[in-house]
Amino acid sequence: MAEGSPTKQPERPEYIRIKFDLPRPYNWSTGRYLGKLYAEAKENKKLVANRCPKCKEIKVHAPTPVCPKCKVDMGWDWVELPQTGTVFQYTYQVYPLFDPHLGRTFADPHPPAIILLDNGVFLRHRLEETDTKKLREGMRVQAVWEEDYEKRGQGFQDILYFRTIEE
Amino acid sequence: MAGRVAIVGVGQTHHTTRRNDVNMAEMVGEAVRAALADAQLSIKDIEAFIFSNMEAFEGVLLPDHGMVAEVGATGKPGFKVTGGGTTGSEAVGEGCHMISAGLYDITMVVSWQKHDCGDATAGISAAAVPTFAKGMVTGAVSEFAKQALSYMKESGAKEEHAAMVRLKADRGACRNPYSHLKLGLGSIDEVLQSPYLVWPIRLYDFCPQSCGACVIILASEKSAKKIHKKPVWVADFVVVHQEPFRAGSFGDPTGTETYSQHVACERLYKRNGITNVRKQVDLAEIYEPSTWEEMSLYEHFYFCEKNEGWKLIEKGVTDIEGDFPVNCSGGVIASNPIGATPVIRIAEAALQIRGDAGEHQATRDIKTAIATALGGPNWTAMFLLKRSL
Amino acid sequence: MAQRAGIVAVAQTKYHPNRADVNEAELAYEAIKQVLEETGLTLSDIDSVVTCCQDAWDGRTIASLNLQHVVGAHFGHEFTVAEDGINAAYVAMSQVLSGDHETVLVESHMKESQGEKSLIENAGFDAILMRQLGLDFTSAAALQARRYMDKYGITPEQCAKAVVRNHGNAKNNPFAQGPMDITVDDVLRSEMLVSPIRLLDTKPISDGACVMIVATEEKAKKLARKPVWMMGVSNCYETHYLGDRELADCDALVKAARKAYSMADINDPLRQIDVAEISTEYSYQEPLWMEGLGFCGRGEGGKLADSKSIEMGGQLPVNPSGGVLPGNPNGVAGMARVAEAVLQLRGEAGARQVKGAKVALAHGYTGICGQLQAVMILANV
Repeated sequence: MAEGSPTKQPERPEYIRIKFDLPRPYNWSTGRYLGKLYAEAKENKKLVANRCPKCKEIKVHAPTPVCPKCKVDMGWDWVELPQTGTVFQYTYQVYPLFDPHLGRTFADPHPPAIILLDNGVFLRHRLEETDTKKLREGMRVQAVWEEDYEKRGQGFQDILYFRTIEE
Repeated sequence: MAGRVAIVGVGQTHHTTRRNDVNMAEMVGEAVRAALADAQLSIKDIEAFIFSNMEAFEGVLLPDHGMVAEVGATGKPGFKVTGGGTTGSEAVGEGCHMISAGLYDITMVVSWQKHDCGDATAGISAAAVPTFAKGMVTGAVSEFAKQALSYMKESGAKEEHAAMVRLKADRGACRNPYSHLKLGLGSIDEVLQSPYLVWPIRLYDFCPQSCGACVIILASEKSAKKIHKKPVWVADFVVVHQEPFRAGSFGDPTGTETYSQHVACERLYKRNGITNVRKQVDLAEIYEPSTWEEMSLYEHFYFCEKNEGWKLIEKGVTDIEGDFPVNCSGGVIASNPIGATPVIRIAEAALQIRGDAGEHQATRDIKTAIATALGGPNWTAMFLLKRSL
Repeated sequence: MAQRAGIVAVAQTKYHPNRADVNEAELAYEAIKQVLEETGLTLSDIDSVVTCCQDAWDGRTIASLNLQHVVGAHFGHEFTVAEDGINAAYVAMSQVLSGDHETVLVESHMKESQGEKSLIENAGFDAILMRQLGLDFTSAAALQARRYMDKYGITPEQCAKAVVRNHGNAKNNPFAQGPMDITVDDVLRSEMLVSPIRLLDTKPISDGACVMIVATEEKAKKLARKPVWMMGVSNCYETHYLGDRELADCDALVKAARKAYSMADINDPLRQIDVAEISTEYSYQEPLWMEGLGFCGRGEGGKLADSKSIEMGGQLPVNPSGGVLPGNPNGVAGMARVAEAVLQLRGEAGARQVKGAKVALAHGYTGICGQLQAVMILANV
């Protein structure tokens, strides 16, 4: 149960507590399609997605073998995405929450945002700017990559965040 | 559906933060006994069990297996269903299908979630694909925060309206013996003073993690009339999934995409000749994890015109005493044991139709009701229940 | 039942110890593409989807989120049955017979290579009383094997014969994972895992998917040259706590079989069933489940294992496909048995075909020592 649960709780009686930790590791495959996104990000610091032959929708989150809306084979038509865009929507976390993939409770200071890339495609990522007073919808942002090749290979996370660019 | 199916018994536990007095099986057993008592049936009469639970929240593999004895399913057929927030609706749907297929006469839908066993926010964050969304999702709260932002912008709704939604929900919750959060709120100021979780969602704008179970007993037409004086008929139901919006999970800020709710209404309303929901349906129990989402859902389900959801709240149209009561039970904002929540909506709607909802019974006579469910990312399930077909 | 539910197409991926080259969606899609091609349907023609996967195995809450696009769930009806795949086929049957859906896509997949089997299985035991004993499905199965063998005098050799027979049959199955040339001696000399279960008494880690399309009788006749009918289906739970069960027996299987048989007018399984595909992850399960299915009397599974009746060419060939022991992921195993039964009844089982098969039995189980058992009787007339 997350600490500091918001509901009023009655007096807790004494319980016998037994600690039994059993972490469960997993080995997930990206598969071919998401794998190409990972490869382009790691090798070339490029963000790519595939495009449906029928509806022409570009599938950023995430590249898949079947177009979810047309339900046809997506094929292997890849598009390089621009690395600049505008902030379409953002929010910011105030209350610390537990993230099961990272294994800790924290309030990410980097605001989650939906970025409208310059080619009209939406990307979900985070912003570098942690001062919420400086955030504004419509501000221009640019991807900031992890420069260390050895540390890349995290797919979308190879982009650390999007930085506000002064115009 | 080929054969007619009715709800002949409902049972719930008292939903709460922590049930340290019972283990999972015992908690569910309480709801099973309550449903059997309501239907005046014995466990021997139940022919098959459909379980509804999202096992990731308690970290259990095959959780239905662990409670077979306590629930009375030993030596009987059954299975468990998983489907995100809509799991419970799909389980009730399958309970109906097993009957209308002619396979069983009486089925029991057993739904629960014991959130004190785990962390719901973490569980929801684990729904994000580990290979590409790690660290990008802070549970459901951030997704509903984005929905709230879009709604505020498009409709002109203000934080005061969200606070009014909470007040209405709390009034219902305080009258409902089973609901979890009975805050006893006096004014919208109390809501507006609660802290932000993920802006603009405040603590009081959002649902809790509850421990609770809800059980519904379904019967074929020929058995239903013998079992219960007031069977509630499942006239129809529909389940609609969707691909996430390009720029949101529960709301589409671009205003260009179709919502699963619209598709669900298109199918359900059309099949049942519903052209004016507020006139032809008497009450709704909807699945609203946040106050802002409730106002949005009014619009999606065509209870009002687009961008006018907040007006229904302002005018009290959806209050218990109102013209079109919604969530007299307090709704999801007051109680959310996720695997059970859609089943609670159906059970509460059934109680309203029977006139058995006690202190939170709607003022109007309820003959037809809608019960909905919401799952991630914006999946919808809708049930149409009637006093008589 | 007035109307029947028909299976119009089935597909399986070749089972493999580690499909690191694909994610869950791509794996399932390999099989989904096949059934779509065979029937000429597109994903838009499907009006309901039943998936079969488990959050703990896929390592993700709402595991079917991995598959939404490859099953065409957008604006469609989909949910997951979190049990072995044969139960998903059962649910699809109910959807079709209810009159609500005409064409249902049923999917099951599992990548056992992705997670730590023992740790995941451990989570299936009651958290307060059993989990900390460090049990997993293999150690629980060992308890059952020991109890069964001691009570009825079933020998390790009789169990080993099941392994040899299944691996031998699997050589004729193009989907089989890695059928080995082994003898009873090889099994008896293999490394002891949890007494009395040895390494070769169990199945290897496996990745795979199995998919089928179920339709109303009317639709099935249009979509398939040779639809296969689901004549009788049932499943049944046993209680959870190992100490509360008589592990030497399998009452849940007896009940599930009885119900399925009565729906399909079967009262003499050995005579009336032409081929049986049963799920066994451990060698002792073959004689035990055959007793439960009524192929022989209580405690006579060993004698049946020694006889030729269940071999290819025998009175009731069991597992012409090789079954689960050469390699099938749990969760998919039961649906794969249905798929194999369908191929048998369509006369499309190639080198493993049982000639003239008209009635087949498929079996699957879920959970600790087969806590949830399911039986399906299929026919081609």
